[in-house]
Amino acid sequence: MTLEAILVIAMFATFGLILLTGFPVAWALAGTAVIYGIAGHVLVADFGANLWFNWGSSVELFPERIWPLVSSPTLVALPMFIFMGIMLDRSGVAERLMKNMVTLFGVVRGGYAVTVIIIGVLLAATTGIIGASVVLLGMLSLPVMLKTGYNKSLAVGTACATGTLGILIPPSIMLVIMADRLARPETSVGDLFLGAVFPGVLLGGLYISYVLILAWVRPNAAPVPKDVPKVTPRVVANALWAAAPTAGLILAVLGSIFMGVATPTEASGVGAAGAMLLAIANRRMSFEVLRDSLYQTTRTSSFIFAIFLGATAFSVVLRNLGGDQVIEEALLGLPFNNYGILATILFVTFLLGFFLDWVEITLIILPLVAPVVEGMGFNLAWFTIMFAVCLQTSFLTPPVGFALFYIKGVCPPEINTIDIYKGVLPYILLQLTGLAAVFFWPGLVTWLPSVAFN
Amino acid sequence: ANTAQAQDSVRWRMPIAFPSTLPGLASPAPWVAKRLNEISDGSIQIRVSEPGKIVPPFDILDAVSDGKVSAGYTWVGYDQGKVPAIPLFAAVPFGMKPWAFMGWYYFDEGHNLVQEVYANAGYNVHAELCGIIGPETAGWYREPIESLDDYKGLKIRFAGLGGRVLEKLGASVTMMPGGELFQALETGTIDATEFSLPIIDQILGFNKVVKYNLFPGWHQQFTAQYMLINKDDWNALGENQRSQIDTACMAATTYALSESEAKNGKVLMEFQDKGVHTAQIPEPVLKELRATTREVMQEEASKNEDFKRVWESQKEFMKQYKVWGERAYLKPEMMLGGEEANN
Amino acid sequence: MSKDDSNESAQGFHIPEGELDFHHHTELPDTAASLALDRTIGSVGKLISWLWLAVVAVILISVISRYVFGQGSIMLEELTWHIYGIAWPIGLAYTLVTDDHVRVDVLHERMALKTQAWIEVIGLIVLLLPFLGLVLYYSLPYAYDSFIRGETSQAPSGLPYRFLLKSIIPLSMVLLAVAVIARISRCTALLFGFPKPRRQTTSVH
Ligand code: NA
Ligand code: NA
Repeated sequence: MTLEAILVIAMFATFGLILLTGFPVAWALAGTAVIYGIAGHVLVADFGANLWFNWGSSVELFPERIWPLVSSPTLVALPMFIFMGIMLDRSGVAERLMKNMVTLFGVVRGGYAVTVIIIGVLLAATTGIIGASVVLLGMLSLPVMLKTGYNKSLAVGTACATGTLGILIPPSIMLVIMADRLARPETSVGDLFLGAVFPGVLLGGLYISYVLILAWVRPNAAPVPKDVPKVTPRVVANALWAAAPTAGLILAVLGSIFMGVATPTEASGVGAAGAMLLAIANRRMSFEVLRDSLYQTTRTSSFIFAIFLGATAFSVVLRNLGGDQVIEEALLGLPFNNYGILATILFVTFLLGFFLDWVEITLIILPLVAPVVEGMGFNLAWFTIMFAVCLQTSFLTPPVGFALFYIKGVCPPEINTIDIYKGVLPYILLQLTGLAAVFFWPGLVTWLPSVAFN
Repeated sequence: ANTAQAQDSVRWRMPIAFPSTLPGLASPAPWVAKRLNEISDGSIQIRVSEPGKIVPPFDILDAVSDGKVSAGYTWVGYDQGKVPAIPLFAAVPFGMKPWAFMGWYYFDEGHNLVQEVYANAGYNVHAELCGIIGPETAGWYREPIESLDDYKGLKIRFAGLGGRVLEKLGASVTMMPGGELFQALETGTIDATEFSLPIIDQILGFNKVVKYNLFPGWHQQFTAQYMLINKDDWNALGENQRSQIDTACMAATTYALSESEAKNGKVLMEFQDKGVHTAQIPEPVLKELRATTREVMQEEASKNEDFKRVWESQKEFMKQYKVWGERAYLKPEMMLGGEEANN
Repeated sequence: MSKDDSNESAQGFHIPEGELDFHHHTELPDTAASLALDRTIGSVGKLISWLWLAVVAVILISVISRYVFGQGSIMLEELTWHIYGIAWPIGLAYTLVTDDHVRVDVLHERMALKTQAWIEVIGLIVLLLPFLGLVLYYSLPYAYDSFIRGETSQAPSGLPYRFLLKSIIPLSMVLLAVAVIARISRCTALLFGFPKPRRQTTSVH
């Protein structure tokens, strides 16, 4: 094994061990980066190790790498969506929406979870920032689901997994970067955006089916709220009336994007303003509510940004130690000559997703495998979307599953990390099911762009 | 390699501002890295770091100057906010054709001026022109531009000094990030956008949502990329290594220009097959754009001494170049083979 | 969501009921120093939280002016992320004070309070402080260079004085370091009785 490989494996192992001690995720990442930065420096400077590691191009660059987080027009959406979620929660608007949606589902068990998934799919169409959507869905839905007696894992798994749909369903910064990286007309941003629509909706559908089946098999996991009235036209009308403002808000955010009034980033601000209006209309707005919502927005945004901070330090040190080369060489060592290669690449991507985030994987692997896939005559857009589904799954796979960290940050105390792991497991399997579906029916990806652009 | 050579060999990480997959704009970077490794027999080893892998694109200059990385490859126009005169070396509205710029850079004052401009702004870098490409398109529009009034209230994404020009003409100019452009154009958040060469624009898929691709790219007749090298590292190189770098970069400039000249025509023909109208901005509108550009350039020159000096030098060069340039070349349709192409 | 009423005493500064919704893992005692420092950082964090309203306002003005008055503004677009870029980095320290940085609690919650405190104090000293120190050390020249070079926005009609926003990086590191020192004192108060614990807080759960 090369020195690079040893260092890369050791770096991940160290990070994993620190995580287990319960030290905050963000600072575990940052601290591991510093330790291995120093190690790399000592190895090169004092032991003459044959590494490309360079203190200047790793540790000294921390400020340069933090700056794009500070000056990002796109990430403004993160605190905005979080504020929107907190406001909806604090003002009682969210709970009312959830309750009324459940009334509509009547005696269908699992109604809350289904509602969360539907809201999540809509939300995914407004933002691609996983931190924002996971946190927002968690805040909106966990309290009410737990109060109704939902199984903890089911509740948290649903919110967490649904929150990751945003990176697949357009607008999606991940697909933009993939298009950029591939630099081919057949995988333009437009093609990938449209290609991702059906797979994204399919995953949402799979999630809903799973919840309904589970609730039917194990009624205790997703009980019907006790006070649900019989479904009469009047009840339906009342429910729709009561749910209208919040649904309207979500649709207004979506609509402002699709009508071209606002960019996705601006739409997040529009949503935040809308949530305040709803709270006022609902007579739940007060100075205290506003103040507390703002305070909590800061704390929630900051714990996510802290993870970004740690992760950016971690990755620059990892790359300097030769992380890219190690993974590239491992990948090139695979048997690249039979039809199963596609499955192999996707499986490896899925496995890497346990440890690396999507940016790393996209930067390292996509340009490497694209020519291979193309050379075998496969449709590259189709492959890229499958690749994207794998990366969406990486948010859910421990130990480095960012959606798991985000949801943990807003969980009520009775939910612990193990509950979250248990909760997302079925959804990881559903992701793989969705992946298989796209694998066997490429039309799911290729059909929409072919009709839309002709 | 013998021991003496091995001691002198350098290992540089070279961050780039665009993915190396982008033709002309960034494809010369890996090419130059590979060539340098080969022609120096391993005494110059360069590893290209894709955008953001090590250094975020907008900080390449600082990172090189501070010696955090030894080299970087970027479109230096990004540093307009730090070095006001630098756009003149990166892309100039109503500026020179690529080969005229190369003439000014290599045989007139360009190469020396860029070193001075960086030094005066407090940067410790050596710059080598290391890639140049032809004109960008004037952008993608829902409707063609027929008069100056069409710019009034037009919601357009337009970077650089050209953006200032359009702002003066009443356009609503934004700088939204590249990743939001497709969606914004599709939903009408913006009416128009410019980005780069046709071959690069097609990757963003603009042709799929709006049908007017306007020319000429008045705002960016040439687009130049540079290899920036930390000055201490540059000075520490051996004479032969320095020649290897400047030779490789000169070759990369040819490489980039050839690639952009070779590939864009085909893409434009494909656009036309897909119903894209490649329209020209009318001459009178262009003249107005030029008049406004002149104002903007004068404002910049009055704010910054180096800007003024470089701008004067370029204007001086253009005076003599015009005599040659307007007489010497055939229009492409006059060339054999050119006349068969339908426009 | 559950209410964690212990926070008022745990944090040492007034937190109204319902404000803190998060689970707090490590119930450390306060010290005189930590009370004062935490209170200060808490006030700063709360103050900057109001900036989110400003972000909402600027976005609305920007959208309205583009759609109603047909006039977009690069300056407003940049103002949005300038305000945002002040708020979250400052919030990092506030979030540390309220102990809202996410942990993996698989083993952590089964540990004795003293073990947790040991992990916390070692982690803060070995992992976090060196990181803060390095970022601070390298971000000071980063911001200072921006100042002496008079860096402005790269957009021709964008905002000037970029060094102000760049200074947020070292500033946030200093605030974080202060929060870390306060927290270390709370750990050592529990482990060694030094500095003198002010109150032993108890979990209400
Ligand atoms: Na999305
Ligand atoms: Na993962």
